[in-house]
Amino acid sequence: MEYRLWFGKFVNDRFEKADDLRKSFSESCNSAPLPFSVSDIGKEIFGDDYYRILRRVAIEVAEEHVERELKREDRYVISLVRTLDEIANTANLLDERLRELKEIKNSQLVEMFEEKLIELKSLRGDIEKEIEDVMRKIAPNLSEIVGEKIGARLLEKAGSLEKLANYPSSTIQVIGAEKSLFKALSRIRKGKKAKVPKHGVIFQHPFIKTLPKKKRGKMARFMANKIAIAAKIDYFRGELDESLSEEVWRRYEQLSRS
Amino acid sequence: MFKVEMEGKTRLFTRSAYPSHYGERKIGDYREWLPSRSKLASIILKGYVPGIKRDTRLLYLGAATGTTASHVSDIVDGGVIYAVEYSAKPFQKFLRLAMERKNIIPIFADAGNPERYSGIVEKVDFIYQDIAQRNQVGIFVRNFEFFGKSGAEGIICVKAKSIDSTADPDEIYRKVIESLESRFEIMEWNELEPYHRDHIFISVRWKG
Repeated sequence: MEYRLWFGKFVNDRFEKADDLRKSFSESCNSAPLPFSVSDIGKEIFGDDYYRILRRVAIEVAEEHVERELKREDRYVISLVRTLDEIANTANLLDERLRELKEIKNSQLVEMFEEKLIELKSLRGDIEKEIEDVMRKIAPNLSEIVGEKIGARLLEKAGSLEKLANYPSSTIQVIGAEKSLFKALSRIRKGKKAKVPKHGVIFQHPFIKTLPKKKRGKMARFMANKIAIAAKIDYFRGELDESLSEEVWRRYEQLSRS
Repeated sequence: MFKVEMEGKTRLFTRSAYPSHYGERKIGDYREWLPSRSKLASIILKGYVPGIKRDTRLLYLGAATGTTASHVSDIVDGGVIYAVEYSAKPFQKFLRLAMERKNIIPIFADAGNPERYSGIVEKVDFIYQDIAQRNQVGIFVRNFEFFGKSGAEGIICVKAKSIDSTADPDEIYRKVIESLESRFEIMEWNELEPYHRDHIFISVRWKG
């Protein structure tokens, strides 16, 4: 039996005090509830200083982790989104190859290939879940409004949370529709009639997709507005503001009824 | 904590030797506790007094930037608050509070994984949870399994929209309370209107 406490561990009823408290604090993970209270043991060892030392170590560890976390997480999501795309593409190609192979010969190797391919596909689900978790953490407002998936996609196109937070809502509205936007712009420059896109990535959102065509532009504009605000809150403050998603919800109800 | 009739309204204050944390007023030694910013404040203003005392050992799940936690820290000045939050940005602000207050132990972790901090948090008298997540009830129960003393009390704030954005809130509340009943004695519950829309709090006692 092993119990890991923040200041050391019990191995078969023998206690070993940790040399590096920060390390043991970060590793004090147990799969089941401890049968005793950590502080009872701790006070035997540290006496009245227990909480003072615990607090100091907790703050030091937290500072370090937060800093690391803030630097990395948006790049992590972006990289995951791209990985997801590439897996989807690759899986399709390999699928075709597998079908061809199967028609020719059903060898053991072909079976192995099939198994690996199934594994690769199930990895997609795992990556999607991870994207959702991280998005909730680094962009709670964005996730609340458009969902983690679309939020992650916006982030990927923008390049970083900082950039997304600095985009105007008009840009956010057409992220992912660059091709048709620039086509339209060049037509306008030549003095021809042009169709400017109403929505890019955010079209995927059910609130836009399910509206009749005429109203989609209105909804997309409104939503892009709120996304722009959400991205700014996420980047600068990081706290969830529930009123934003409620506004989007209300606007949708308004448009879908009228 | 103190309720005062002021400016035609009932206002809530906690006695605090520390400065203002989130822009709230400070009058003398008292910090105003705003119900619009803190669900716990709105619970108290709605007339329910939770069993948090001077020497309570408390686990706080979802500390965010520490608005509510700062007042809880005022109340339990002889106790300890273990505060868990996993979002880096608000945690930064919360950390500043934790450095100032002697009774807050900040833990940067996901409340959904109590294993991760099982060797840090002691057995506690009270668990307060304010996290808007779909599986928040499961998370609440797991934390009681890990850290609740027998007979420990707790408050869970439930946001209907974050459990199911389409279903009827009353239906969601009924289901949540039903799912809590097997492990807890339900002591009180109420909506948080007019301070927070589509939210309820449930006050419970751990049966385990």
